[in-house]
Amino acid sequence: MKKKILIYGAGAIGRGYIPWIFPSEDYKLSFVENNKELREKFQGRNEFITYMVKGSRYEQIVCKFEDCFAPGEEDVDSYDAIITAVGPRQVLLLAPILSKARCPVILFENDSGLSLELRNLTKKKDIFFGIPDVITSNTAPNEILLIDPLSVVTEEGVTYIEEGASSLGGHVSYVSASEMKKQWMAKLYIHNTPHCIAAYLGSLKGFDFLHEGMQIKSIYTIVQGAMREMSQTIVKLYNLDNDFVDWYSDKELYRFSNILLHDPISRVAREPFRKLGLRDRLIGASQLSLSAGVIPKNIILGILTAFSYDQSKDEDAHIKILLNSLNPNDFLEIIIGLKSHEALFRLISSSWQISMKKLGEISK
Amino acid sequence: MTKIQVAINAAVAAGKLLENHYGMVKEVKSKESLRDVVSNVDKIAEETAISIIKDNFKDSTIISEEGDQSLQNSKEIWVVDALDGTVNYIHQFPYYCVSISYWVNDKPKLGVVYNPNSSELFYAEKHLGAFLNQKRLKIRDCAINEGLTAMAFSGKAYNPDERYKEFDIFGKVNDLSRGCLRTGSAALNLCYLADGRFSLVIGKANKMWDIGAGLIIAEEAAANVNFRIVDKENFLIDYLAAVPASKRLIESKLDLSFIKYN
Repeated sequence: MKKKILIYGAGAIGRGYIPWIFPSEDYKLSFVENNKELREKFQGRNEFITYMVKGSRYEQIVCKFEDCFAPGEEDVDSYDAIITAVGPRQVLLLAPILSKARCPVILFENDSGLSLELRNLTKKKDIFFGIPDVITSNTAPNEILLIDPLSVVTEEGVTYIEEGASSLGGHVSYVSASEMKKQWMAKLYIHNTPHCIAAYLGSLKGFDFLHEGMQIKSIYTIVQGAMREMSQTIVKLYNLDNDFVDWYSDKELYRFSNILLHDPISRVAREPFRKLGLRDRLIGASQLSLSAGVIPKNIILGILTAFSYDQSKDEDAHIKILLNSLNPNDFLEIIIGLKSHEALFRLISSSWQISMKKLGEISK
Repeated sequence: MTKIQVAINAAVAAGKLLENHYGMVKEVKSKESLRDVVSNVDKIAEETAISIIKDNFKDSTIISEEGDQSLQNSKEIWVVDALDGTVNYIHQFPYYCVSISYWVNDKPKLGVVYNPNSSELFYAEKHLGAFLNQKRLKIRDCAINEGLTAMAFSGKAYNPDERYKEFDIFGKVNDLSRGCLRTGSAALNLCYLADGRFSLVIGKANKMWDIGAGLIIAEEAAANVNFRIVDKENFLIDYLAAVPASKRLIESKLDLSFIKYN
């Protein structure tokens, strides 16, 4: 009998990647989607096509699904597992409903701390962290969308889930806590930090997709530099194997540059304030670098590019108002939350003018 | 710079000045009552804020607590209070702020409140939303018996014969909620409502400069905000701002006709 999985979020990971690791031949998939426009695209259908980049070509599967619910319509008690891919800001809002579920919950949320937080909020022990180590676009080239507007393109990734959830099966690796930590460090710092920097730099040039920016030498160099700074940092701090880190870095640079993936900058760069959080992938990563004795010169350029992110439809579009209102030191102190005596504050403040000039040149 | 950018810039500049002079107030003068005072720092901070506004919008009409208070029939005005919570400030009770708003046809269109002590910058613009530093603000509904409330009234100059009514309402709201505070800063009361710390805020005969920014910040955070200019010549406003559940309950339980917010 097929296991039933309820997936919160029918976006990039939800409908683009999960059907590859939990295929509809073996699982009954249902979605809960907040976005009414997207939900309407599911109505009157029971399948969609999703694509994977394999080498230099696309491979496709037809994903059959049971339902696509609006939030509140679902009955969490009738599933064998729940997977969330809604974003770190949204997932905690699911706590009341997840507390009613008797099945295991897997979080694909790019934040390892959330599983513990949700366990505390729901008093539910079987909530597990998962890492879909993959880039999945939330859209696809026009020729694909003409065939099926629900199609998205993913790459061939790997997925790690805490071993407590292993009874669910699927094409994933259920790993120990120590292996999970290693993979998370690599994902968090060698992937997440340079990935969003590549997006912010690409947005400076007005590009729509990540690979377009990566073809510009000055952008590629900064992204590569940021990746090197983070690699050095995690090798020093977490004793990760150099060969693993080098292999991971090369893999990431290739992924960011993949012209078949069509990874939208608006997706990767969205919510810059979240990424600029004191413990997150830009400010947090820089602090970590400094604690390892690595000067995060390229990451700081990425931070300044994130400050300059100008996308009026973004949830954090007010960053532009604040940047234009305040002098650099007030912006760093009041808005970002750095203290004026901190090394990172001084590094950013002292390089502000030169770095902004350099970014201005890149944007031309 | 746009108007909201200028307001933020001016509020933070004035706020820095307040922060730098905290605990060093030299001159204090009483105005309309013992609690209505002005210090030397108020005036310097106000000059700082006003000069930034004038540098960017030189023909603007600006009214302020310590300065010009003639409207000159302007439909568009800047309203500046460089130190809301002066008594708190001079007694080193760290609950004070700068409040700047911009009004069109008797309605606030944007507002900025900056509390230098906590580095909290509240700001809002009509239809764009309300924010606290990085965070977008949205109230969370809360029954009044589970919420903290605040009231600001200064009736000493405005119909002193009815002063007992203010205390009567204050006492009743206090008993219906987890407490009703008189904080000394009406601007911060409204901002804290927007941020979910208060569930209901009431004001009787508050000055326009005290609450102009807070009203739009609370409104853009989706609070129910009702206010009326009860005395235009003296810039006095009555208001009630609350989360929906608290508003429903207070209106069903108390006779609030004394507060002319509707």
